[in-house]
Amino acid sequence: MLNSSQRRAGRSLLIQRNALETNDIIANKNKALFGKAFVMNFLSSPGSGKTSLLESIIPILKSDGFKVAVIEGDVETDLDKKRIDKLNVPAYQIITNGTCHLDARMVSGSLNSLDINGADIIFIENVGNLVCPTSFNLGEDIKAVVLSVTEGDDKPLKYPAAFYKSKVMIINKIDLLPVLDSDIAKIRENALSINKDMVIFETSCKNNSKAGNTYNNGLQDFISFIKDNVSLKVSVFKK
Amino acid sequence: MHEFSIALEIVDTLQLNGYLEGVKSVSEVKLNLGKYSGVDKNYLAFAFQNLNDERFKDVLLDFILNDGDEITIREILVD
Repeated sequence: MLNSSQRRAGRSLLIQRNALETNDIIANKNKALFGKAFVMNFLSSPGSGKTSLLESIIPILKSDGFKVAVIEGDVETDLDKKRIDKLNVPAYQIITNGTCHLDARMVSGSLNSLDINGADIIFIENVGNLVCPTSFNLGEDIKAVVLSVTEGDDKPLKYPAAFYKSKVMIINKIDLLPVLDSDIAKIRENALSINKDMVIFETSCKNNSKAGNTYNNGLQDFISFIKDNVSLKVSVFKK
Repeated sequence: MHEFSIALEIVDTLQLNGYLEGVKSVSEVKLNLGKYSGVDKNYLAFAFQNLNDERFKDVLLDFILNDGDEITIREILVD
């Protein structure tokens, strides 16, 4: 082991560079390949309901004429992709084999196989983990953090990076509120203390097959947000 | 433990920009680390110690902690 004076004997190189520059170079290439598509990167703990949320909103977006594609990220299995396949939209499963997050290289690799030609919306479902995925830009337009009411209202304070970096928070499984002690107002307050500009939706993915139910379970507001951002992305892309 | 990936990204960034050309060893890496970066500085130091790269075998990490989410390489000391 070198002592401090030996350490100081070397040359000093001033750098001032983004430490994740190599990831971000690839993320920017991904962004270019995404084209006009609005791309959301979903972060959350395992089991918050990311896939259920996609299963609930994709059929509605499809019926409204939007072309959707999905990139799934999991440590093991293609179970989530199989669920998305049932919606008849292009989907690709990234299996990280133990890695706790997606990075730009993995997403770049998925674009060799996934049909995103003409896509209006691309959803990236990151590995279920509120810590590691926050550090890596994938080329998305926004990060969206999903928090289920079963996780407790202190999660924004315990895992602040995910809430700081996300433009949107979806508080999911609100149908369970009657049997829980979770305080939605407290979740909102804690999240906004980390990120005061965060846009917040409250959703449930239960019983969505019932006509008109999307208006009662908060999904419609979230879908409207997505549609607005698709329009915004297209207008920016044309310029 | 995404800090291993961050450590590899730092090495890649240094390599990509030519800072490691002719370098036998890196004795210190100075970083700016935002409190919302999602990076644990102790795990990052552990990751560097366990990189399969002899040049970083004895590396010491030095951090300036700040607000925001940046992870910036500020300076390196090399031999």
